[in-house]
Amino acid sequence: MSRLEIISPEGLRVDGRRPLELRRVNSRTAVLSQADGSAYIEQGNTKCLAAVYGPREPTKRAALLHDRALINVEYSVASFSSGERKQKLRRDRRLMEIASTIKRTFENVILTTTFPRSEIDIYLQVLQIDGGALHTAINAATLALVDAGIPMTDYVCACSAGYVNNQAILDLNYLEESAEIPTLTVALLPKSGKITMLGLESRLHLDKLEPVIQLASDGCKQLKENIDATIRESTKSLAKTILQ
Amino acid sequence: MDDSTPASVQNGMDVDTPPSVTSTPAVFSLDSETFKKIHPTEYHRRFLSQGVRPDGRTLSRFRKAKITVGAITTAHGSAMARLGETTVVCGIKAEITEPKTGAPRDGFIVPNFDLPPLCSPQFKPGPPSELSQSISEYINRVLESSKLLNLSDLCIEEGRAVWVLYADIVCLNYEGNAMDAAMLALVAALKHVRLPTATFYEADNAVRVKEQRTIPLKLSRTPISVTFGVFDGQFILADPDIEEEPHLSSQLTVIIEQNGGLCGMLKPGGSALGQETLTSCLEAARTRATHILGILEGALAER
Repeated sequence: MSRLEIISPEGLRVDGRRPLELRRVNSRTAVLSQADGSAYIEQGNTKCLAAVYGPREPTKRAALLHDRALINVEYSVASFSSGERKQKLRRDRRLMEIASTIKRTFENVILTTTFPRSEIDIYLQVLQIDGGALHTAINAATLALVDAGIPMTDYVCACSAGYVNNQAILDLNYLEESAEIPTLTVALLPKSGKITMLGLESRLHLDKLEPVIQLASDGCKQLKENIDATIRESTKSLAKTILQ
Repeated sequence: MDDSTPASVQNGMDVDTPPSVTSTPAVFSLDSETFKKIHPTEYHRRFLSQGVRPDGRTLSRFRKAKITVGAITTAHGSAMARLGETTVVCGIKAEITEPKTGAPRDGFIVPNFDLPPLCSPQFKPGPPSELSQSISEYINRVLESSKLLNLSDLCIEEGRAVWVLYADIVCLNYEGNAMDAAMLALVAALKHVRLPTATFYEADNAVRVKEQRTIPLKLSRTPISVTFGVFDGQFILADPDIEEEPHLSSQLTVIIEQNGGLCGMLKPGGSALGQETLTSCLEAARTRATHILGILEGALAER
């Protein structure tokens, strides 16, 4: 089997995108009736569902905080979501690490002091993965939190970027991620432009770090437009039903 | 003091003296939301005695069913089933494994049903709940006993390689009656499965699988699950929803196949039911199953 060219001579990636092009985004809120807030987002072929419950009574009274809400994140990947079926291990380290990252990302953005002694649960269910599961999940969580009416200082928008063939590329898919291209995931607070989460697991030359972070941040800003539009759309229809 | 206190208290008389006949009885009224919270069984009873349910359905009316197939492209087969607001997705992934020595031509089908905390506040994170485990187990037994799939159809090379189908069913939103939705999603996903051609090469002791997924599964029957709830031992409710489920005295699940035959029946304890009740449920289930089969066919035609 011939080695796939990540970027063809014409400058196109394996899925036909240009290097700086984001995948098509499709998002909706209020998709689940049981959850206080919910959202569904598709970034290319990566699909993630988020449900937010809270603020509510904490399940573990011992863990409650007297002056703020406890944020609890569960990140779950469906076993049919990726190329090889992964037997879902409840205490899978990788899943717990991702859940912990997401929790710490949102802890600083959600106005937790508004709800002391309570718990806010964020449940993320990834239904299909084509690369970028972490940032898709973060975007889904942002939408679901807004849908649940939980106050935050800003949207949290996340995106990934990588570097290959002297070119920075945006929003890597599964093929690109598995081709051992250094992948950087960034979560940004669009209003202030500050980075709340950053993750890199492979070697990247220091000179290349700045442009890759910049590219990922630009991707985040583009995603913010989509997230914002979805929120405004659903708020408009909600306002219509209330004002009737 | 207001009019609701008995006259004996109002007049400050001691307890031995009988209360004056002019005392007005206490009137106590509640709005329906509060009544529903503090006395839910009575709340439902009031509706059911009028032949209607809180969500507006009659006792024998099922919720609207909707099926879509193929949403998960990474899976070999996938389907999403909705019964009212209860939403369940099933993804089937096929892998290659060695068969058991006792059955060298038999492949495997491994269904699993999960109710994650995402789908309802009543499910907490942790090990699978009793409900999800019992549904998983029942579905597995129905699949096996009804010989839904001829397991030797999954054979690639006798004694060396067979397909194993992992059917993972996940509830995304739980509004009651997960059993029916889970079964429906599973059957729809199985009908949607397309396996690639697999050939065993003795020389390499390996299986080569083609890219194209073209081979459908041959299902011997199409089982449809229809669940009823029993309230107060007398009212039979078709397709109980989440408001009704905690107050049911019994549940009855009937599995009907495409020609109206019976594949399974489950009444896991609960209040006693007469024979005629069981028979009338069976008839109602047959009608519902025909309706569902029509919807299923429509959904598969749209693939």
